[in-house]
Amino acid sequence: MRIETIRAAGDRPVHIRHDDLISAKGVSVVIARQLILSDIDLSVPKGSFVSLIGPSGCGKSTLLKVLAGLVQPTQGSVSIAGLAPVEAARKRMIGLVFQDANLLPWKNAVDNASLLLGIADKSLSRSDLRARGQEMLELVGLGDSAHKRPNELSGGMRQRVAIARALALDPAVLLMDEPFGALDAITRDSMGQSLLEIWLRTGKTIVLVTHSIDEAIHLSRHVHVLGIKPGRITESLDIALPYPRDLSVTEDPEFVRLVVQLRTMLRSSHQPGGAS
Amino acid sequence: MSDQPITDLSEPRLASSWSAATGSWLPAVILLLVTIVLWEAAVRIFAISAFIIPAPSEIAKSLVAQWGTLMQATLVTAGEILFGFLVSVVVGIAIALVIVRFDWLGRALYPLVVLFQNVPKVALAPIFILWFGYGLAPKIGLILVIAFFPVTLSMLAGMQSVDRSLLALMNSVGASPTQILFRIRVPHSLPNLMAGTKIAATLSVIGAIVGEFAGASDGLGYVIQFASTQLDTALVFAALLLVSVLGITFYYAAEILERIVVPWAPKFSQS
Repeated sequence: MRIETIRAAGDRPVHIRHDDLISAKGVSVVIARQLILSDIDLSVPKGSFVSLIGPSGCGKSTLLKVLAGLVQPTQGSVSIAGLAPVEAARKRMIGLVFQDANLLPWKNAVDNASLLLGIADKSLSRSDLRARGQEMLELVGLGDSAHKRPNELSGGMRQRVAIARALALDPAVLLMDEPFGALDAITRDSMGQSLLEIWLRTGKTIVLVTHSIDEAIHLSRHVHVLGIKPGRITESLDIALPYPRDLSVTEDPEFVRLVVQLRTMLRSSHQPGGAS
Repeated sequence: MSDQPITDLSEPRLASSWSAATGSWLPAVILLLVTIVLWEAAVRIFAISAFIIPAPSEIAKSLVAQWGTLMQATLVTAGEILFGFLVSVVVGIAIALVIVRFDWLGRALYPLVVLFQNVPKVALAPIFILWFGYGLAPKIGLILVIAFFPVTLSMLAGMQSVDRSLLALMNSVGASPTQILFRIRVPHSLPNLMAGTKIAATLSVIGAIVGEFAGASDGLGYVIQFASTQLDTALVFAALLLVSVLGITFYYAAEILERIVVPWAPKFSQS
């Protein structure tokens, strides 16, 4: 927790408490002389579930990479619990999940799940790592597939292993870049539901990049809409639906209203330019 | 649910691919037998002289008559091939590792390796004889310069095709370049490396024979050269047959090795 002091009217100091785990201020990214992200301000409260949604090419994946420390912002700054993202990652505070599970095909599920932990913490023995990997596989519902290689697992199961691998680090924040983007609709729904359960059980802070309106509303507490050319946050939406949510939430009138609202926001975000 | 394992397919798939393999071999075997019969018939009908084209039966006779000499020569050549092949694989892997691990050295070495690949290596045989004499050394040297390249190139391709996201994951938790090399890049390159190894196995046979042509007192290459000066064409063909058998044996040995080393390779898990 950090306390910021600002000067209000009459030079009266006002203390504002921030319990934002992630805060990005004025982040711009220029890659190959192209403005990918423009002046992004984003704060993610601790323990929250935040989605970034936007059309292709809006830079939402780039924003996630900036938060992960994989891309350096051209301007602006990012802090994860007061640390620069690269430092935070070294301290095992960031768990990453991409669209492709990227498992090692020569290792079984439990060894894949403990791969990053083993690199991050050299003091752990092989059996410690196995135990931790097994624990994480159970958390993602794959406890009985520990000895299967990736080519023996379905796409959804591989992605569960990827989530277990990220969670094994016991990170403060889980950054997920379209983790269910390559899965079929039914698998996608059940993966989303599992992720919600994991989130409620572990209390991790989650930032999810998605292009699915339903997924964003089903899962998150806050949704930020990104516009294109340049990529910027055009609107933000709080999802007031109570947790725990299950798939029946999609039939809730409030859900339907939010879908319409978010779709309208996305449509206007497609227009390039400054209208925000 | 679509979240189910797909393992159960593997058993019947293996069985069916085996019967498919034997089924696909059959036409080739039939064609080979027909060719041999036609060859035998043509030589007899047109009364072709045995020192130009010997009939298959003549080759078989020669094979039996010279069995002792041929086996001894085969053993010598096989030893050269095996030794040269192993040296090629070890050197090929070492060069690939150095190129990937030490960036500046790689940038210095790689263009030279590619340049060297364009030297007609067979032409080096007389020089190797000059340098190393008539023994085993010039054959190993020749096999090495012919066969290391596909090993290096395939392993490089494998090590450099690791997904960027995976590298990002590794980097994010502070993995060192050496950790990434040995825990990710090297195992990831094994399927490519095994493909390169199979090419090297074939090239090793060529290297050994060329080395023996250039100067040897033993081996199948020597037998071929000696027999052709004697116009014993049947013996040339018999030795040629044994060289081919050696080549096929080494190739399939490499293929079996591949199944043992990389059972998880994409080629074994796709249908």
